[in-house]
Amino acid sequence: MDIGSVSTKGVVVDRDGRIMACEYLWTQGDPVSATKKIIISLQKQLSARVSIESVGTTGSARRLIGAMLEADAIKNEITAHAKGTIARHPDVRTIIEIGGQDSKLILINGCVVTDYAMNTLCAAGTGAFLSSQAKRLDIPVEELGDVALRSRHPAKIAARCTVFAESDLVHKAQAGYGKEDLVAGLCHAVVLNYLNNVGKGKQILEPIVFQGGVSKNKGVVQAFREELGSDISVDADSHLMGALGAALLSRGAKRPKPFDCDIVDLHFQTGAHTCPGCANHCEIISFYRDGSLLDCWGNRCEKGLGKKENVL
Amino acid sequence: MLENGNTIGEPKDGILKKQGEKMTIGIPRALLYYRYQYLWKTFFTRLGCNVVISAPTSQNMLARGIALSVGECCLPVKIFMGHVASLLGRCDYILIPRFETLGKGEEFCVRFWGLPDIVHNTFPDAPILSYNLQDHKRGSEMQGFWQIGLRLGKSPAQTVAAYRRGVQEQLRQDCLVREKQELLLAASGLKVLFAAQSYLIHDGYVGAPLIRMIEEQGGVPVFADRCDPMTCRASAKTLSQDLYWTVNKEIIGAIPLTKKEVDGVLLITAFPCGTDSLVNELVLRRVRDIPIAQIVLDEQQGESGLQTRMECFMDILSERRRSHA
Repeated sequence: MDIGSVSTKGVVVDRDGRIMACEYLWTQGDPVSATKKIIISLQKQLSARVSIESVGTTGSARRLIGAMLEADAIKNEITAHAKGTIARHPDVRTIIEIGGQDSKLILINGCVVTDYAMNTLCAAGTGAFLSSQAKRLDIPVEELGDVALRSRHPAKIAARCTVFAESDLVHKAQAGYGKEDLVAGLCHAVVLNYLNNVGKGKQILEPIVFQGGVSKNKGVVQAFREELGSDISVDADSHLMGALGAALLSRGAKRPKPFDCDIVDLHFQTGAHTCPGCANHCEIISFYRDGSLLDCWGNRCEKGLGKKENVL
Repeated sequence: MLENGNTIGEPKDGILKKQGEKMTIGIPRALLYYRYQYLWKTFFTRLGCNVVISAPTSQNMLARGIALSVGECCLPVKIFMGHVASLLGRCDYILIPRFETLGKGEEFCVRFWGLPDIVHNTFPDAPILSYNLQDHKRGSEMQGFWQIGLRLGKSPAQTVAAYRRGVQEQLRQDCLVREKQELLLAASGLKVLFAAQSYLIHDGYVGAPLIRMIEEQGGVPVFADRCDPMTCRASAKTLSQDLYWTVNKEIIGAIPLTKKEVDGVLLITAFPCGTDSLVNELVLRRVRDIPIAQIVLDEQQGESGLQTRMECFMDILSERRRSHA
């Protein structure tokens, strides 16, 4: 399971790492429900003879869903994405990943991650920016790529910061640029922003694999090709690489009994409260299954973590 | 800037303690406290004063500091202001030294030059006790302490003796931490060198979560500020001949010094630290033979992004060790 801020992805792989079933849907701010829906869908795709021997989670809700599914591997997105991609493209040197809220650059040498970078202070040039601009131009976000490819003279749009990019876009639209040129300009802006922020000072070597939700946008792929002057591969399953990596990382776990899909019938609940223990006011999240405490986190100190007084 | 740190912030009633009544000195647990705490504590205790040290940084204290500072101030100075605020009314004097230089080719960040002034302008009534460190001009450490003694009404002999004991105690404690670190460097776990200002990484609110994350991932944290500062300053020359910021030199000098023993280096800085932004960039460009990552902390940041970065960094280190084995 790869539970991201915008979308949740799930795969089931066989012994050889081939994808047997997969599902992709919007998280909609409720990772637990999204996970349940994914499990139901995966179960439908599989024959009743298949038993799930291990579970891995990644993405920003990895800890929550990891507790829910009693996962064998709970891994950060970077390691999971690298693992999944290397399984598909063993010679990859650079992974460009642009998701809904963040973007990453992973450098690999000999199937080992050697360096990485993540956007830090700003969400410029991520999927969220593209979808808000698509809405402004009244184009469905899925069609942005095709529209961009029709452009002959992409508009030059300031790429340093989304606030400027947006006002520049409005300005160019009012100045009479066609929609396809604006969208193509936007795709270039995303790429330049990525290369200037995340890619700053890093050596981008071939072969390059581009993934994450934004990799489905052909206009951005084309812009990367032009800016880098090199070929960019986009896997047909590029949106599933994190989930695939998490699955592969969980392999070999000695789970006492196979994963039970009936978990979707259980009631999961989270509760947040502020620890009264000291002046730090840690926000503690407690996670319950059918009313009993599974796990809790968010505490800055060891004091009281998981103890009764911290439970709602 | 006021010429002499010793003349600002005199309490309105002067030193009016009755004979036999103990004076209380407040020390903010921030900035150079982490460098001189034993010297300061010993000195004042030996002079017969009570010493109050502000509590470890908390969210409240940081929020207070942010509210008291101008927006452009760096995170550590904001934290410092929070600590000063928490000491007001609890002591007769607050120790806020002015650090300029340890000698030729050495300099402290300008925030340390202006610290007593910044505090004085924020809290005009705060009773500030200060000493100037500007070695080659007109104020050695010893002279500074001598003046503090005078101001507190102590005899020169008593002051000098207290200062000497303070220096000894500081040296002794520094040696102890260094010896402990030597043992850690010889340990077998994945060792991560924290190249960070001591007031960031040892701060209970800002730095401690980073150390905890590394330990949770099975790493062994070691610290640049626990290496010998003289050796570090010399070793920093292999990275750059031109640096003059003393504290930065001591931090980055630890990288070439320990790189055979540690598995990776984490450069930790707080937004918007001027000296770090230059020096860390230099390190990132010149140090190529060891995994190195920079973490920029700021007052707004949540922990989740940090967690991902730290976990991934530890994954890189363990993969690297496995592939080298």
